[in-house]
Amino acid sequence: MGLRGYVAKRIIYSLILIWAVITVNFLIFSMLPGDPMQQFVAGLKGNIDEERYAELRHSFGLDKPLHERYLLSLGNMLTFNFGVDTISGEPVFDHLRTPLLNTLLLMGTAEIIAIIAGILLGVIAAYKRDSILDTTLTTGSLVTYSVPIFFVGWIMILFFAVQLHWFPSGGIIPIEWGRNPPTNILQYISGRLSFIFLPALTLFLFTVGGWILFTRACILETINEDYVLTARAKGLKERTVLYKHVLKNASLPLITNVALAFAFLISGAIITETLFSYSGMGLATWNAIYPTPILPVLQAIFYISGLLVIIANFIADLLYGVIDPRVRYG
Amino acid sequence: MSQVLHSKRGALGVTVIFLFVIVGVFAPLISPYDPIKPFMDPGQYPAYGVNGPKIAEKLCYPSWYRYVPWIHKGPINVTETFINTVIVYEGQKFSNVTSLPLRRRIAKPLGIKVIFKDGSSRKLIQDEEWTWDFNKLRVMDINWKVAGDLPNGTLVEANYLTGSDISETIVLMDDYKFSSEESCSVLENQTNNPSLVSIKYNSQDGFENDGCIQITYLGSKHTASDGEANATLLLPFEYSYWSPPTSFDTHFSAHVEATLRTEVIIRLWMRNEILDETFLISTYNLSSTGIFIHKHPPSTSHEAIANIGSYPERSIFPLPANMSYGLTIDFPNKEKDVTVYIDNLQSILYGNSFGLLGTDNGSPYPPRDIFSTLVHGTRVSLVVGVLSALFSTLIGLFLGLIAGYVGGITDETVMRFADLLLVLPTLPLFIVLISVMSATYGLVSMWNIIILITFFGWMGFSRSVRSMVLSIRERPFIEAAKAAGGGKFYIITRHMIPNVFPLVYVTLATSVPGAIITEASLSWLGLGDKTIPSWGKVLYDFNVSGIAVTKGLTEYWFWIFPPCVSIAILATAFILLGFALDEILNPRLRERR
Repeated sequence: MGLRGYVAKRIIYSLILIWAVITVNFLIFSMLPGDPMQQFVAGLKGNIDEERYAELRHSFGLDKPLHERYLLSLGNMLTFNFGVDTISGEPVFDHLRTPLLNTLLLMGTAEIIAIIAGILLGVIAAYKRDSILDTTLTTGSLVTYSVPIFFVGWIMILFFAVQLHWFPSGGIIPIEWGRNPPTNILQYISGRLSFIFLPALTLFLFTVGGWILFTRACILETINEDYVLTARAKGLKERTVLYKHVLKNASLPLITNVALAFAFLISGAIITETLFSYSGMGLATWNAIYPTPILPVLQAIFYISGLLVIIANFIADLLYGVIDPRVRYG
Repeated sequence: MSQVLHSKRGALGVTVIFLFVIVGVFAPLISPYDPIKPFMDPGQYPAYGVNGPKIAEKLCYPSWYRYVPWIHKGPINVTETFINTVIVYEGQKFSNVTSLPLRRRIAKPLGIKVIFKDGSSRKLIQDEEWTWDFNKLRVMDINWKVAGDLPNGTLVEANYLTGSDISETIVLMDDYKFSSEESCSVLENQTNNPSLVSIKYNSQDGFENDGCIQITYLGSKHTASDGEANATLLLPFEYSYWSPPTSFDTHFSAHVEATLRTEVIIRLWMRNEILDETFLISTYNLSSTGIFIHKHPPSTSHEAIANIGSYPERSIFPLPANMSYGLTIDFPNKEKDVTVYIDNLQSILYGNSFGLLGTDNGSPYPPRDIFSTLVHGTRVSLVVGVLSALFSTLIGLFLGLIAGYVGGITDETVMRFADLLLVLPTLPLFIVLISVMSATYGLVSMWNIIILITFFGWMGFSRSVRSMVLSIRERPFIEAAKAAGGGKFYIITRHMIPNVFPLVYVTLATSVPGAIITEASLSWLGLGDKTIPSWGKVLYDFNVSGIAVTKGLTEYWFWIFPPCVSIAILATAFILLGFALDEILNPRLRERR
């Protein structure tokens, strides 16, 4: 089985996962007692008579048998048809398109910087094991790793926005852009960046500790291997040993973790975006929870975030296959 | 274990966890107030119904603010400038008296300086040239009379002390139930006709058949020369703060015993000795009903006070003063015998500070003591964290052992299921699940959250257990055990588990913080158990209170920072412990020496 077979296998596996996510999503809503229609009606806050109720049930396909409803939902999910927002009446997907892009921008920035910085610092910490630098880095990572993200966010707002006035404390674009958005592209980018900076820094601090610790652990596991000893005994340069022999072998679990970190980051983004009123998926989630839960939106958010994680996993698996020949032929 | 204590991080982690456990276990002893529905003396003030009065006003500052000099500034010296436009001529005397309309509540004037149009100025000397006219002292408009010639257009600089203070809650009566005769000693009683009115302690006829104050009016002995008689109970107290209470409650129970159609009028009032003014709080016309009447007029709503201003506390308590709280009973039906029993006499002046960490905004319940919530929240976080970690670790251990040792289709099923769960983004899934559950069942309990965290927390550990089991399975001692006739159960319990167990400790310690933070995050999003005080719920309350927007993050830091810091410290402690355990127990991390 070559690379092609491996990719095919991964694609099939990802498709199965997507199917599983859709099924879980369907099960949550259909296996629970009670009629989902009642919640929709409760969302409308109007009095609806029997006839209209039955009519609505029919229009949503709720009078069909379970298996037909399942197939219907499968099709709807695959075509991104999430129904309408019970409060505003807009289609859910239109509602979520811009937030999704905003979130990807924020998470992408934070994640990439966190991975690079985390791996570099982790290598240094592992290499200088038990030095002051290592102790500081690991203890600091342990702290940032375990501090809840809303606390980090609040401190960021307090320090950079309230005290220093360097960055805006929340929002996504300056208020004055609402009427006349800037034509200058540089101005546009810098404006957007100033709003992304604090939430991205928060997410960065939230994730970088985990990366440092994980890299350090991976390196420490390989640094004691016999082939590293052999490499040193051969008289190779310390730098060559570290990057060619240790880091290359230690990088395999790191790559798998990129995908899992993505899943983590989505959780973090919900809280960070709520905190910074950053109009992404996270803020959309909060708006769908508070004050009244809007279930179709929540369902769509769960599905989309599941999809993102599956795609990230798929990419990580591909990278894994490219780097490690054992995976392809194993 | 002793090795853990030898490692610095491990020792620190263990100590911190131990402290939190102590706080959690002894939470009710450490914090006196119910963290969810706090009431002062629940059920003891009849007019409040089942609950007592609230413990404090909402959004109180911590009470130790009083001792922080840069927060508690005491009375501020304020200078205000006016242009004199009013000249008052007093009688025949040729002395000008100027009224200065001051827009602030004045406590104590320190001096007045006048600046004439030509630029020359003169400082007026106290007592000689100006008087402080308290008779016209009202909230918004205060007149100072300045003797001397002040032409129109003269600048006047007024310098005075005004209130800025951290005040504490004052409960006026300690023994408001009059359970013993000594409790009356703090009260003074007065009457304008001692021959007809007698005031004494009654030990059995009060509300709940305990003590009360009995006021007897002998109408049958009334003669034509006597006027309308009255009786007064008053409680002198000292108000020592420069700022008024945020609000105050008054409460009393009265029982009128008389023949039909006999009326008494009860007036409740506060008196400020420095202002020399009595503020009527409310008036009640009570007739003989045979039962107790309980009243607790809230300070801001009653009409008798409303005409002083919408914020009566400002008028009544503008500055430190000797005060008295009293109740006057008039007997308009002069010829009829009346006995009035007064019980549960109380007034609570709510200050703007309370407890160690102040109070929250009290919605939907009365304001809560943040410190109590914090202490009780320790229990929730520990229980949720430890139990979810324990359950998920046990499930992971079990499934990992089964998958690894049995292998085949069992292994494949368990591991593919684990893969599926690992891919699902947990927080969005929890949000969906909990929203659906709370929409269906109405309530989410702490146990639902524990179950959720457990169900989505075992996969990583079961993977590592499985891989360990796979490698142990091939070792010679397992083969020996098999050859000796050991069954699967025997081998798993006697040989597998002891080898895997070090990993259990590490995973237990490192998965607690995840559970704690997940619980806090869910509560922070308002998806937690709202009937128990958890740290995340405090943050949720802060989040939805809008204080961060209206007042900023800094002013009410004591509302959010302590729970955040507690979560951070507890989570870090568990991580440090896990890390220390990992360094000790994980053979692969041992350094090659």
